Amino acid sequence: MARMPTSLRNVAILLLIWEITGRLDLVASGALPGFSEILIRLWEDRADYPLHIWATLYASGVGFLIGNAIALIAGVAFAMSPTLLRLFRGVNITVFALPPIAIAPILVLTLSGMAPRIVLAALAVYFVTMTATVIGISQSDSRASDLVKAYGGGRWRILWLVQLRSALPTIITGFQIAAPNAVLGAILAEFGGGGRWGLGTYLLGSLGRGEPDRLWGIGLIATAIAGLGYLFFALISWGLLGGTRAVTLNTATPVVEAVSASPLKRTMMLVGIVSLPFLLWWGFIVLTGVPAMIAKTPFGVIDYLFIAKTAPVAQEKLFQALSETLPITFAGMAAGIGFAFLLAISTRLFPNAIRAFMPVALVTQTMPLVALTPLLVLIFGRGTSLTLWVTISVTFFPAFVTLAQGIALVPRNAQDLPRAYGASAWQEMRMVTIPASLPYLFAATRLTVPRALLGVMIAEWLATGRGLGNLLNQSRGYLDFGMIWTVAFVSVLLSVVMYQLVVVIERRVLRRLGMQTAE
Amino acid sequence: MNNPDGISLSGVYKTFEGRGKTVEALHDVTLNCPPASFTAVIGPSGCGKSTALRIALGLETADKGEVLINGEAPIIAAKSGKTGVAFQDSALLPWRSVRRNIEVPLEVIGLNRKAHASQVQAMIELVGLKGFENSLPGELSGGMRQRVAIARALVTEPTVLFMDEPFGALDQILRRQMNVELQRVWQETESTALLVTHGIDEAIFLADRVAVMHGNPGRIVEIIDVPFARPRHPDLFSDPAFHALTDRIASVLHG
Repeated sequence: MARMPTSLRNVAILLLIWEITGRLDLVASGALPGFSEILIRLWEDRADYPLHIWATLYASGVGFLIGNAIALIAGVAFAMSPTLLRLFRGVNITVFALPPIAIAPILVLTLSGMAPRIVLAALAVYFVTMTATVIGISQSDSRASDLVKAYGGGRWRILWLVQLRSALPTIITGFQIAAPNAVLGAILAEFGGGGRWGLGTYLLGSLGRGEPDRLWGIGLIATAIAGLGYLFFALISWGLLGGTRAVTLNTATPVVEAVSASPLKRTMMLVGIVSLPFLLWWGFIVLTGVPAMIAKTPFGVIDYLFIAKTAPVAQEKLFQALSETLPITFAGMAAGIGFAFLLAISTRLFPNAIRAFMPVALVTQTMPLVALTPLLVLIFGRGTSLTLWVTISVTFFPAFVTLAQGIALVPRNAQDLPRAYGASAWQEMRMVTIPASLPYLFAATRLTVPRALLGVMIAEWLATGRGLGNLLNQSRGYLDFGMIWTVAFVSVLLSVVMYQLVVVIERRVLRRLGMQTAE
Repeated sequence: MNNPDGISLSGVYKTFEGRGKTVEALHDVTLNCPPASFTAVIGPSGCGKSTALRIALGLETADKGEVLINGEAPIIAAKSGKTGVAFQDSALLPWRSVRRNIEVPLEVIGLNRKAHASQVQAMIELVGLKGFENSLPGELSGGMRQRVAIARALVTEPTVLFMDEPFGALDQILRRQMNVELQRVWQETESTALLVTHGIDEAIFLADRVAVMHGNPGRIVEIIDVPFARPRHPDLFSDPAFHALTDRIASVLHG
């Protein structure tokens, strides 16, 4: 228990430094207020908060419940039927990779009241819990399943007696990671418009007024809500299961075993995988019954971008935005992951320094991206460097956590071998640590690709006035519905394609090296 | 057919396809175990012995050949609770107590566990775990966990007992103790037993007959009778006749 006082001491030192720099206005002439100044402002604003907090809590809570219910049912169905899992691969990757901010405006157009926020919160939790369920079930003890089967028990019997219970720890870890996601989803939908209340609305309203202390206050409250959700499930998993679990989850769609099927069947499956997301899109529009002027089907987007009279103008705008967004996304992602990789492999060289840093990295995982961006606006202004910094900060921490945890799993024996022959720390790193961490580098990249695009778009939307995020925001003002749907579609497509690209490279490289895909 | 064999495999073939390679796991395997006999199957890793057991259990289906348990199809025998099974590494559910683990087969077959409470208790006492009824598997030693698995295999009062390397994860000393206990328990139940194992001495000590398998394709090369009288005492392990038989089986295994 000697660690508790040390970490308390670290926190105290951190707060003290924060307070001094804040009080002396050392960061960007007052962009970072002292900790006590933020608390005082929170107290002064206390009358504003309850309704905003309640609106955000309500949307993220309901979304969390609905999203997880769907995810559990889907996860069980996928675990029972590999064919179904394959068929839904396109849908699952889309839900995982879609930048919530891109579809927030279209949800606001097609749904009313709290529904857009709830849907976005539900979408934000679906993938994590669904994956956790599938993995938990498929990793359950096959011998225990055989035992039930040997007594004539069927699939549902096995599911009930063995698999669900053994998947429980994984599922709860899924809830744990999903909780902050739900808060983020709800806040992003609040950005998309509609409604008077909500922390996102409050944040957006306060952004233009240049009051750093209030912005920090809102950011702290949003982080606290997300963090409490995370902590709640962490405590459940602690109490119920009595053990520590990984804090990140597999971001890969669960591996489907290669089935030798005929080319015809394979093609049909591929067509199904690709067309299912579009079918769901089309069905969603039909179900909501929103007029075609506002709600565009896939055909509507094609018409807008290629056939209509205004198509050349639309294309030019879109390409202009893409040429601004893409380079900065790649640069920020490369910098974030590269820095995380360097820091993570050096955990072997400076284990103590990194151990002290780890809790900070974990806290930032629960910090809603949107709460972070306005703060970075205050520090870095509204230029391109802001976009870069937002992207680095949203990719660095998750990449670091994934990598550091992966590298910690490298077997002791593998490291001891070079050391036994008198290898230096550098040789050991070159021969063991770096190759062994490759699968985690890919896993981290998979995890951060969609986040990078989301980070860039949020920065563009809120601050810089360039790129896809800005185009989306402007089109809302012009009521340019075709463009809203087109940008949403293009950014989702971009995210999915980049994700899929990483997956393909990952499979090639790891197969050549005879390694397994990391979780 | 008034007294069918406990376990009967006749002319069983099984082939696995994987990554462009076909593996003939079982090639014309015929094995008949008379009621209340104890048969051990021994062979190198990957020779198909576990596959044979899984087919007899109904976990896999044979490509060709006939499999009968007490004269019935495996799945029917399983559902009527006539078979008991113990796998390698005990395969206990970690969140269930000893008692609740032993009750798993009762639940699957659809028997009332309250009505069988005394039977469950009797099994716990038979394997010497009185006082540990409410312990979780994580709180038990490896040998105790294996005894729970044996008790679970016996709880339905099976007439046919399957064991797939039940003591594979135990050390040699513990393994011998468990062999002695298994013999005692099995003799009380008078069931037909099929044991898949790596250990020659374990096979000889427990079985009436040892079926030796070779791999690639998986087949039975010889069935050797074990003449020692029952009950067998641990002293048997150091008997010259025991060693002679060990050598003979080893020569067939490597032949």
